[in-house]
Amino acid sequence: MIVVEGLAKLYGEFVAVSDLSFAVQPGQVLGLVGPNGAGKTTTLRCLSGIIPPTRGSIHICGYDLAKDPIAAKRQLALFTDEPRLFDYLTVEQHLAFTARIYQVAGYENVARGLLEELELTDKRQALPGELSRGMKQKLVIACGLLHAPKVIYFDEPLTGLDPLGIRRMKDSILKRARDGAAVMISSHLLHLVQEICSHILILKNGRNVSFGSIEDITRQFSVAAGQANLEEVFFRATGADEPGPAPGS
Amino acid sequence: MIGALFYLQFHTVWNRIAMRFKRLKQPKYLAGGVVGGLYFYFYFVRYLFGGGRARAGLAATQGIPHLDPALLESIGALILFVVLVVAWLVPHQRAALAFTEAEVAFLFPAPVSRRGLIQFKLLRSQAAILLTSLFLVLVSSRFGGRVWIHAAGWWLILSTLNLHLLGSSFGRTMLLERGISSWQRRLIILVLLAGVVGVVAVWVSRSLPHLDLSRLRTPEQIQAFAESLLVSGPIPYLLYPWRLVVRPWLAPNATAFLIALGPALLILALHYLWVIRSNVAFEEASVDASRKLAERVAAVRSGNWRAGKQQLKSRRPPFVLAPVGPPAIALLWKNLLSAGQAFRLRVLLVLVVLGLSMTLSLGRTMGNSDVSMILGMIALMFIAWSLFLGPQLMRQDFRQDLGLAEVLKMYPLRGWQVAFGELLAPAVVLTALQWFLLLLSLVLLWHADLRVLDRPARLAVAAGAALLLPVLNFITLQIPNAAVLLFPAWFQTGKDGPQGIEATGQRIIAMLAQLLVFVLGLLPAAIGFVVVYVVCRLVVGFSLALLLGSVTAAVVLAVEAALGVLLLGQLFERLDLSAERTG
Repeated sequence: MIVVEGLAKLYGEFVAVSDLSFAVQPGQVLGLVGPNGAGKTTTLRCLSGIIPPTRGSIHICGYDLAKDPIAAKRQLALFTDEPRLFDYLTVEQHLAFTARIYQVAGYENVARGLLEELELTDKRQALPGELSRGMKQKLVIACGLLHAPKVIYFDEPLTGLDPLGIRRMKDSILKRARDGAAVMISSHLLHLVQEICSHILILKNGRNVSFGSIEDITRQFSVAAGQANLEEVFFRATGADEPGPAPGS
Repeated sequence: MIGALFYLQFHTVWNRIAMRFKRLKQPKYLAGGVVGGLYFYFYFVRYLFGGGRARAGLAATQGIPHLDPALLESIGALILFVVLVVAWLVPHQRAALAFTEAEVAFLFPAPVSRRGLIQFKLLRSQAAILLTSLFLVLVSSRFGGRVWIHAAGWWLILSTLNLHLLGSSFGRTMLLERGISSWQRRLIILVLLAGVVGVVAVWVSRSLPHLDLSRLRTPEQIQAFAESLLVSGPIPYLLYPWRLVVRPWLAPNATAFLIALGPALLILALHYLWVIRSNVAFEEASVDASRKLAERVAAVRSGNWRAGKQQLKSRRPPFVLAPVGPPAIALLWKNLLSAGQAFRLRVLLVLVVLGLSMTLSLGRTMGNSDVSMILGMIALMFIAWSLFLGPQLMRQDFRQDLGLAEVLKMYPLRGWQVAFGELLAPAVVLTALQWFLLLLSLVLLWHADLRVLDRPARLAVAAGAALLLPVLNFITLQIPNAAVLLFPAWFQTGKDGPQGIEATGQRIIAMLAQLLVFVLGLLPAAIGFVVVYVVCRLVVGFSLALLLGSVTAAVVLAVEAALGVLLLGQLFERLDLSAERTG
């Protein structure tokens, strides 16, 4: 579903991502983790066609993102941590606009279902400026799911959500994966990754430090130093020191 | 505490200046800085250091009449008085000091007294006042006077004005807290104002009975009347404090300045005491004002001028958007929605019907008159202006959506499709407006006695123009849009965006580039027009040849526009804002 080979992204001489290769199959949820500046967001931006990679190839559902970007983009959706909406379009107008862009015939029924599922029905006529952050996030999700994408990327999906929203977001991600979507999640929240991801890709300085199923990676790092949870795996894999006591404690 | 606030202000200004100097290492800022610097030098600075001859020469060429200093003093005082009356009369909000959001976050929870916050605000406003004074000196010194006297004079005027505006906002809030509503306050001020106007009117009727307003026709007569009104009688006394404020600015020499300085400083000090001793709760309103200010600045800097002024409201879409069809139409639909309710087909039709009925009735009553002719010419002039100014005013394209470029890039659309869609809304609006004006001018000039163009020729010109205008709009709109995609940092939002001299320079470069590209773009079309017109003229009449020439020019321009859209699409596909941020 997502096949990445030799992906690299350079800004001048600065290497943001280097020689990255991995694949995500339908139904799999891949967690993308790494310290700040590891290249997680750059990777997701390359994978969603926002920025062109410097080297390497990306295939989405068999379509080469560089050679056939339109067909590839029709299959994917990216949800960023910061909801980005058009200030002057209402909730309903956002959906109508997205439907035309993705050519979703008879979108009205799908949109109605999504608005109900995301509890936005009462806000159909509201502008983004009248919505809370969580509601804006929901609108972005409604727009993103309107064309039933087969590949879904989440960049810090839980930012700004309340506990109920977090629970629903997790369920929603797992539901999409169960329905056959290939899902990638970039997050610093290791407990989220451990809870819902089937696979994990650890990045450091733009390079692949470790890639595999959660069980394999945990086992790999446990062999060397006893049983480890994902947090310990993260620190060992990235070579970061274990955090000391919190300031003021 | 004031030491810490001074430290904050000093380093804020210093770091900002240092950052802007560092940024000059980048060619785009250096070029803007050089061009902006040259502009300011040639337009303003050389008059400061060019000696009295340069300034006197300019004053002479500008035809500035010599006015009595007492009259100038009263005029200046009157302007200040009007500004201050408006400040007391119009606003209805509670006192709010506009802090930045960072200042609110750091200073409001900190152990800083209310008075400390006011002092900080005053300190911070001094940076803006000094900069504004410098700018005003650059302007006012072009017309004579000593530079340092103007500089000190402007500083005194602006500082006093700033303190009074702040004090009036505190005063209004205190009145609100004592149960006097905004309307009651306005009523009291209007009654007082009516009393003042009454006193002046009585004096004018008693002391200046010979003045007849209908005889004020020449500038000299108006000046003599103004002198009688403003220099003698009660007005100079009523305006006395404000005359003291403007007097240093008008001082002809150092001695006169020093004499005028004392009273002006006293008024400034009294204002300072008034403001600093006011104990008004401004924090809550300030937090809200700071947030709104931040939003407005971001909106205006991103080119969304309307969002900066008013709160957005949901609007009815311009047409029903079907879910299937050319995707570019979705961008047209979205951008027309953002343009507002005025840009709807129904509004345009009403405008056409009204305009046509008015011009037709005008044509029937006036016929071959100068009025119809002048109005027709004005309509044509507006069309010409709209070609150049329209693309600057209608910004519902990449300039508006630059902040959402990453969202647009995720859409399953080719670059050219996005570019075409983004250009459609301003092109459609401008074309509709120009066609409307063209129709009006045709009707207005229908009966005009134009020997060069008979009626069939007028129809041919109008038809040719109607064909050319949409493609011309597409081309003129492509230039600023290409600039946005080529140099996104020049259009960056927020405080990191270009400001000051380099921003002025960048705008000048962009304007010249736009003019150059427009002229170059017109050349092939003009050649095509001339060739076809000359050839056709051998076999057909003037009007038909003109029309065929116009069609050829429109085709050439359409090809250019199509190539431009493809190029713009490529630029959009290559656009990488993250590279700009790291650069």
